[in-house]
Amino acid sequence: MADNEYVVQMKGITKVYPNGIAANQGVDFNVKRGEIHALMGENGAGKSTLMKMLFGLEQPTEGEIYVNGEKVSLTSPTVAISKGIGMVHQHFMLVPNLTVAENMVLGMEPKHKGMFMDYKKAVEITEEYAKKYNLHVDPNAKVRDIPVGMKQKVEILKALVRGAKILILDEPTAVLTTQETEELFKELIHLKEQGYTMIFISHKLHEIKQITDRLTIMRSGKSMGVYQTADISKEEISRLMVGRDVILTVEKDQAQPTDVVLRVRDLEYTNEWNKKMLNKLSFDVRKGEILGIAGVEGNGQRELVDMLFNLNTPDSGTATVNGQSVIGQPQRKIRDLGVSLIPEDRMTFGMAGTATIEENLMSDRSADNKYNNGPLFNMKKMHEDSDQLIKDYKVLCKSRNQQVGMLSGGNIQKVVVAREFSADPILIIADQPTRGIDVGATEFIRKKLVELSRAGAAVLLVSADLNEVMELSDSLIIMYNGGIAAYFEDTTSLTDAVMGEYMLGLKQQSDEEVRRVQHGE
Amino acid sequence: MGNKQKLKFEFMRGFVAIAIAIAVAFIFIFICADDPAKALNCLLIRPIISNGALNVSSILTILGRMTPIIFTGLAVCVMFSANQFNLAGEGTVMAGGFVAALLAIYVPMAAGLHPVVCILVGAVVGGLLMLIPAIAKVKLNASEMVCSLMLNYVVLYVIMHFLSNVFADRSQGSTQTYPFLETAKVAKMVPGTELTWGFVIAIIATILVGFFMYRTRWGYTIRMIGINESFSKYSGMRVGGVIVLSQVIGGVLSGMGGAIEVLGRYNTFLWKDLPGYGWTGITVAILAKNNPLAIPFAALFIAYLNRGCELMSIYASVPAEMIDIIQAVIFLFFAAEQFMSKTRQKMVVKETKEELAKKQQEAAVEGGNA
Repeated sequence: MADNEYVVQMKGITKVYPNGIAANQGVDFNVKRGEIHALMGENGAGKSTLMKMLFGLEQPTEGEIYVNGEKVSLTSPTVAISKGIGMVHQHFMLVPNLTVAENMVLGMEPKHKGMFMDYKKAVEITEEYAKKYNLHVDPNAKVRDIPVGMKQKVEILKALVRGAKILILDEPTAVLTTQETEELFKELIHLKEQGYTMIFISHKLHEIKQITDRLTIMRSGKSMGVYQTADISKEEISRLMVGRDVILTVEKDQAQPTDVVLRVRDLEYTNEWNKKMLNKLSFDVRKGEILGIAGVEGNGQRELVDMLFNLNTPDSGTATVNGQSVIGQPQRKIRDLGVSLIPEDRMTFGMAGTATIEENLMSDRSADNKYNNGPLFNMKKMHEDSDQLIKDYKVLCKSRNQQVGMLSGGNIQKVVVAREFSADPILIIADQPTRGIDVGATEFIRKKLVELSRAGAAVLLVSADLNEVMELSDSLIIMYNGGIAAYFEDTTSLTDAVMGEYMLGLKQQSDEEVRRVQHGE
Repeated sequence: MGNKQKLKFEFMRGFVAIAIAIAVAFIFIFICADDPAKALNCLLIRPIISNGALNVSSILTILGRMTPIIFTGLAVCVMFSANQFNLAGEGTVMAGGFVAALLAIYVPMAAGLHPVVCILVGAVVGGLLMLIPAIAKVKLNASEMVCSLMLNYVVLYVIMHFLSNVFADRSQGSTQTYPFLETAKVAKMVPGTELTWGFVIAIIATILVGFFMYRTRWGYTIRMIGINESFSKYSGMRVGGVIVLSQVIGGVLSGMGGAIEVLGRYNTFLWKDLPGYGWTGITVAILAKNNPLAIPFAALFIAYLNRGCELMSIYASVPAEMIDIIQAVIFLFFAAEQFMSKTRQKMVVKETKEELAKKQQEAAVEGGNA
């Protein structure tokens, strides 16, 4: 069969989750034998869902999967493994209290006299594979004591020991340092030379260019096509990934920033994997301006936002809103100071899915006097205000009593935004405010942000969408490795190319230049 | 899925679960009854109709039996709404009942006041007991499920100690307290039956809990925490405090239920084991899908089956434990999230496809407007 050059063929895959979200819609995905194939797309584009189906963790609603030309029904990871598919998860699936060798043979332990585990044999197996594939690990070390890079090698070896010929690597470099990444790439190329096929999930463009042969791009649950990596430019990839050809322009006047509202000084944070996520971060956001934060994801943006809303605690440093500290303060107090947050993860923080739209709109203000008559809610006032918000923010719904989880992503975000913007904020933290939502809602939310800043709110905009930060920000910070790589007081003459160099750490402004973002003391 | 379709699905699912439970009961009845037809008659019809006429005394018994399980059902409903799987309903019912009994025996009071004080103190005792798993959860992140489950046995054996060594009436053949003062008893609604004014209190409690959960900020916060704790925290709600509050309210309700049951149904305190109302309360709350206003209906259903099983054991020699089998099967299918999930998935896929098609049309229109 001519099809045999492909080891994996997924045809017309559609996946509808029980909450009604169609994560994949008629996706075709083909991988050739012995290639490193990149699967690219933004968060929520459906990459993980597609791979979960290939590894048997989820079953497709529609579509067919072929492995080595044979039609298969991958009902569980065990079946997938038996077909030679292995997966290296982004969040390692290892038992921290067991040794590397024990993890390696977990579930397929070599037996001693048919009953006890033969630990010596386990160590031998580990050493043999480690040598064969040039992946050096210490078989006797406990997994909890070894560095992240080695954990990843254990994950890869685990898949190989189980006979995997096709490896799915889910954002393998997300937790690695630059050196570890380089090492990993060498090992992957070594594996490729030995005839292994790899599917590499990532959204880091330079890595993809460096290591992959072909790539498939996904956006909003659909495949945007398959390309030879060599034939496609980074710009083209990014355009296909984020759909930047739809350029939305928002008109805005020149900002007239006044007093400092948010003051962040020397914020430091080291995460549980000992990676420094915030490094002496200092900046100010002033009344009436939109300060954008750009940067490749994972350079400390999420941690910064978590600190400002006390969803995490920094190791040191301060953050104040109008002179009052927000570090370690209850969210009630932070909100009372006039801070609103559009959270990056709206499903976890932004909404209560099975509650109604009205209940979601009222979550931060249910205890306010105007919504309570003594012990009872003032339902009339709540209904009135909810209906008004639904109208003002153009939430498409049947009524305020509809469950929020049943709305589309864009409409859910409008509910979140309606609540956050209507709280009369003096500081708005907008973390990926338009990620994964439709064009109409995106435009609406962007306009509202500009409107509020011009009406006197301070806005901190964190976005991985370059178009968005450049379009909306009055001034801009680029974060790299937990610090500020560059500060641009004026964004009008800024280009992607210049930003890209700072985002990827190729360039770094001097301390004096960066310090300009601290406006007075 | 839309609200209406979801409701439709839930009804269908509940109906199938109950049908399967009764079918399972049928199988056991056919195995162990000498006269299966008679047994089925006892289970399904005799609780309300016997010999062609309304079986009034049995109906009143059913209503009476609903009283304690309405209270425990409401208690579980409040706690489960906050996503707190607290199982100390048993212990708090018993403790509430025991303390109320002591007040009823040893502290003379005016006739109208006496039961009220006993019930309120029983409620307070229930609430205080629930503070243990609640605070352990909030302060130490100890599983409220394990903690509350174990608490039941602590309560049981502490009460057993005091009952047999301190408060026992030695003149009686079995271990029990001295009789309650007449002033302390919860009066019968219909003399000579199990139906007391406690039933009315239970219905009032249902309405109050319904208002509390859907018309006050505390109930609202409890529900939001149950749906999404991270969201509640982010919204500025006092999550820890409300988690404690939900369990204390649960304790107050079940303590109250215990006090009313003891003072309404008996003349002396004679429980020597956990009374079982706490467990039944869980089934009731699950049947009612944590909706307080549906609790009395769920309680009616369980009390009806209970009565049916009792009649079966009297007239058709089917063991009374049949009720536990039926309850367990209903419980199993209701609690099984994935039960009928394929049907649900089919409904979801169909609707999503329709919506996607619609959205594409809308997008075309919206694009034109923008």
